[in-house]
Amino acid sequence: MQLALTSTQENLWWGAIAGGFVIVLAVAALLTILVMLVRTIDRRVATIRETLEQAATNTANTALIAETAAQVDAVLAEGLEHHLFLGRVLGKVRS
Amino acid sequence: MTTQIVLSVVVIVLLIAGLAFYLYVVGSQLTRVATNLEACAELVRTVERNASVIQPGVEQINHTGGVIAGALPLLYGMAEGIVVGATYEPGAAGERGPARPASGRRRSRLHDSVGYVPAAGGAASQPEPDPQVPA
Repeated sequence: MQLALTSTQENLWWGAIAGGFVIVLAVAALLTILVMLVRTIDRRVATIRETLEQAATNTANTALIAETAAQVDAVLAEGLEHHLFLGRVLGKVRS
Repeated sequence: MTTQIVLSVVVIVLLIAGLAFYLYVVGSQLTRVATNLEACAELVRTVERNASVIQPGVEQINHTGGVIAGALPLLYGMAEGIVVGATYEPGAAGERGPARPASGRRRSRLHDSVGYVPAAGGAASQPEPDPQVPA
């Protein structure tokens, strides 16, 4: 098949081909930058995940705080018993 | 002419192939990032759930500890009072007299054997004569 093109049209075609190559290279460069940035995001998200796993491990035993509070309340109740006992004994000693 | 057609096709194929390749790479990376972010979200919820019990528990411990710390001086004040009241304090050391029997003074029968009867006033007097003893 033979196309009848003028020299101007043929020059424009060559220009379009050259521009196409330049665009392919520019797209490749920009997408390479995009891939590198996404890889950085991936690494940092993985770091955040590791940190959060350590934080979850460190806070896994916080349920014991409520139990500790209950035991401290038991100490207070025992202290009140001591208070009553010492009050009775002190009254007998003074009388 | 043929060269131009081939180059045009090559440029188009390169553009499409490059876009497809980078799309695949970025897509796989973003999928991994999404997986990690989902795990991070779950971990954040776990940490939040674990940390939610810290504040009320510590507030209760602080409150109860304050009450105990305030009551301890009262307790050891009472204990000191008990110690002071229950400790033995010896009296002033005076002159200690002779030991005397608790049953009182024992009456001696030697007086009876010789016929001596002490007077009621305490002064020594002559004993009354025993009627059974000949004068």
